[in-house]
Amino acid sequence: MIAIVDYGMGNVASVQKALNFLNLQSIITNDHKLIAESKYIVLPGVGSFKQGMANLKKHKLDELLTKLVIHEKKNFLGICLGMQLIAEFGNEPDRCEGLAWIKGEVKKIEAHHLRIPHMGWNDIEIKNETYFNGIISKDFYFIHSFHFDATDTNDVSSFVSYGDKLVSSIQHENIFATQFHPEKSQESGLQLLRNYFLNAKG
Amino acid sequence: MLKVRVIPILTFNGLGLVKTKQFSNPRMVGNAVQAARVYNSRGVDELIFLDISASQQNRKINLKLVADVIKECYMPVGIGGGISSIDDINDLLKIGADKVIIKTKALTDKPFIKEGVSFFGSQCICISIDAFKMGDNYFIYNKLNLDITLEEFINDMNECNVGEFVVTSVDCDGMMNGFDINLVNNVASKTNIPIIAVGGGGNMAHFNELFKNSTTEAVGSASVFHFTQYTPLDIKMELQKLNKPVRL
Repeated sequence: MIAIVDYGMGNVASVQKALNFLNLQSIITNDHKLIAESKYIVLPGVGSFKQGMANLKKHKLDELLTKLVIHEKKNFLGICLGMQLIAEFGNEPDRCEGLAWIKGEVKKIEAHHLRIPHMGWNDIEIKNETYFNGIISKDFYFIHSFHFDATDTNDVSSFVSYGDKLVSSIQHENIFATQFHPEKSQESGLQLLRNYFLNAKG
Repeated sequence: MLKVRVIPILTFNGLGLVKTKQFSNPRMVGNAVQAARVYNSRGVDELIFLDISASQQNRKINLKLVADVIKECYMPVGIGGGISSIDDINDLLKIGADKVIIKTKALTDKPFIKEGVSFFGSQCICISIDAFKMGDNYFIYNKLNLDITLEEFINDMNECNVGEFVVTSVDCDGMMNGFDINLVNNVASKTNIPIIAVGGGGNMAHFNELFKNSTTEAVGSASVFHFTQYTPLDIKMELQKLNKPVRL
């Protein structure tokens, strides 16, 4: 079973729809027991970093997820805000602490000649092929104003170019997370999700 | 490289899909769910669904119908119509909307727009700018008898830190005679957020002109897809001739 964590931060239905399309069973929940019993944890989300952390804390999901993902090494897939929250710090709207699973800080995109948010389809530069095998197009859908500035580039599995080279996905042991939305990236996104749930060890 | 976006727009009047001319004379153009299914199968970059009479008729958007539309889509969807509370936004995001498109409420309630941005993030809050030209100036079209210039409205929304503008020329809407490129450039020069240019696309030359003569990175269209044989892919092939990055 795949637990899609429901913490009041948006796009849970889209993620489940994509998983249904792939014939993968999932449940949208904030129930600690159900999350602990699941084989995979998916943390989606749109919205501000601080609000996201506050919502996780409200349901004590921050402690639970850290216990399951960091100590028990359960497979974790973060999407968009769900990727950003695993950083040490965020800055939206002001500086605050994140889950701190991956070293780095989420910062505002600074690209003076470009429009912010970075919104639309952009091609990624893949560093670690594990989950990107067999995708037909490297274009994925991005919609974000903040980016994950990762301390250790070994944690980065792909980059996207928008002004600077920005992190578009993170991979570290049992943690995989994308800044783009695989559930909104049509064929390539669905292929990525298929790869992930076939290959992630559980 | 970030690709230019070609975005079909579905406008709904509470009963069915319609296409207006200069925001009047709605003509029925079919079924929303079927249209969404076709656009999804064509791999469009994004889809916009607007209930254009919700605010006017003082009713909420039909969440069941919107959910059925979104179910067909494996690409991003922006939804608008009658949005006036945080709960309204949450309801739409919960059923899979990626962005909400707000117009009427933005004209009268800046604090609400700010609240929406702080809760859901800039990227989620998209503002519809429906502009018409009078003399040399642009004004915001509305049914509230408000006198608001384009510039005032853009400044207000910039201050709220919203994520995107859908810029529609009321004069060009449904006319299929070409875009109001001055309007697009006017808005583009006053903001640093992405804009979607809408209103007037009737043939490939119109799209070519728009992208040749403006900095817009996205275009929205309805009539050209309802009433001609052209598809979003045809537009992208046209834009490729201008060396614009497109996703084929």
